[in-house]
Amino acid sequence: MTFSLVLQAIFAGVTNGIVYALVGMGLSAIFKGSRVINAMQGEFAVIGAMTTVLLLSNAGWPYAAAIAAGALTGALLGAFIEVAFVRHMARKNASEDSFLLLTIGLALTLSASILYFVGRDGHLLPPLGGEGVLLVLDAVIQFHALWLIAIGIAATLLLRAFYHRTTLGLSMMAASIDADGAATTGIDVGRMRTYTFVLGGLLGALGGILVTPLVAVDYTLGLNLTLKGFAAAVLGGLTNPLGAAVGGITLGLVESLAIIGISSSYKDVVAFSVLIVIMILMPQGILGRAGRRGG
Amino acid sequence: MKPSLLWLAVGLVVWAVLPLVVPRNVADLLVFTGIYTIAGLGIGLLLGHCGIVNLAQATFYGIGAYASAYCTVMMGLPSLVGFVVGAVIAMVLAYVIGRPILRLTGYFLALATLALGAIASALFFEWDWLTGGTLGIGGIPKLELFGFALDRPSRYYFLVWIVAFACMATARNLVDSRTGLMLRAMRDSSTAAAALSIDLQSLRTRIFVVCALFGAIAGSLFAHHVSFVSTQSFTVDRSINFLLIPVIGGATSIPGIVAGALFITFLPEFLSKLGDIHQILFGLALVGIVVLLPDGLMGALGRLRLRLMQRGGHGG
Repeated sequence: MTFSLVLQAIFAGVTNGIVYALVGMGLSAIFKGSRVINAMQGEFAVIGAMTTVLLLSNAGWPYAAAIAAGALTGALLGAFIEVAFVRHMARKNASEDSFLLLTIGLALTLSASILYFVGRDGHLLPPLGGEGVLLVLDAVIQFHALWLIAIGIAATLLLRAFYHRTTLGLSMMAASIDADGAATTGIDVGRMRTYTFVLGGLLGALGGILVTPLVAVDYTLGLNLTLKGFAAAVLGGLTNPLGAAVGGITLGLVESLAIIGISSSYKDVVAFSVLIVIMILMPQGILGRAGRRGG
Repeated sequence: MKPSLLWLAVGLVVWAVLPLVVPRNVADLLVFTGIYTIAGLGIGLLLGHCGIVNLAQATFYGIGAYASAYCTVMMGLPSLVGFVVGAVIAMVLAYVIGRPILRLTGYFLALATLALGAIASALFFEWDWLTGGTLGIGGIPKLELFGFALDRPSRYYFLVWIVAFACMATARNLVDSRTGLMLRAMRDSSTAAAALSIDLQSLRTRIFVVCALFGAIAGSLFAHHVSFVSTQSFTVDRSINFLLIPVIGGATSIPGIVAGALFITFLPEFLSKLGDIHQILFGLALVGIVVLLPDGLMGALGRLRLRLMQRGGHGG
């Protein structure tokens, strides 16, 4: 095992990890704000990426505009799901399980819709920063991976600033911690829940758009991203979107370092085994109770 | 004759005549309904009586199917051996894995079972020396019973449904027994149940093992029905489909499980006549049921009956 191989694996792990982190942060933001486990979080990523692909290649939009539109589509889809389904069910005090099943149903519907309207082919987006690569001690790093890492870190820091510095972010936190208390101070708790879904959709779509130059997006990608995002969120303590960032990168690193030793096809086996073990041994997530304060 | 006995007799006659009068493809779907009922019963026990969302049933289903395929095709053993080996492996695995993960609750447990399903699905794919990978194992023999070849859906139907009824009776006995009382206590107030020295974890593990057993039996029956098994049949999607059975029908009701199994076998078949759009419609149908009928088809039926009876009462 050479050093450059390890370095390569670390970069691949961080790159994948940032994508898991973005999907996981969205999932965790939605859980924090609504107590709904969103089993269609990966579909936000697929819809965002597909919208960008179609606008770029079929409608001829400039890349930046197509990315913005893709991310916005994710956000709007999030809002739609809250307004059309979640709100209605929350009013009837639906159980945790029924929300889980609702989002499973929505995930099936969306993935079938993509199969129907777009087809079964995978689509790639052009890499950000061109096709160039950077050589660090014989490890090959695509420019796109550097962009992805930079954007992922920026998104995480912005999310942190949003929750801690802005009135809206603080109101959303308040509404999620104590709904009745927040309502008495004049916060519209229902609307905060809608915004939570907007945020979740936005983060998911961003993750999807960023990964698409590396992995072709098709109608089956959503479930896998949901699983990895879910794992990232749980590792981070579930109610802490910033913890999900740490969880995502940890998951990415564990995956890519583990496959240096064994066949790469065991990537998912390793990732999910680690997830199960961590859930049993560290029910608060890898950051423990301290991590709860972060979000 | 009491009306309930009369209904039972009518039901039995319909059940016995049905596969003989319907077209072959419908008989085939009825066989699948029976197989899915068995797999769904276990998930219903966990969901309805323990509040556990099990997203790993395709794992146990796969274990049953591969055990039957491997024992009969690769080793030339009698088919009963496949059933037994599958059931034993599934139950041991459920016990060994269930013991630690059933300490988790709610979403975490649902995720743990989902992760388990994803691991198993990847292993089925990787261990191609055992499972044949994507190429699968073909030529699994049709079953025979006392010299009758069960080589047609309309014959296999009877075996599958007799097994299904036996599983239903087992589930019913479990729910009505002391275990069932403990389960109810655990579901309604786990703290109170623990105070009565009910060992919650071992109780949950026991039901998980029963669920795995049903899954493995269903898997073996599936393998002998389609005579070909490959990794595509045991993915996470399949587990989600199995979970839908008790959700759609109603988890605590045994007729509900049958209704759910009918739903997930017949509706996609019916919708597929409409062309490629059928998967979207199936997804929407599921969303509709979750939003509009939170306690499943049987729950909705029960409420409707209650309302009709109340109205009848007022009228009289």
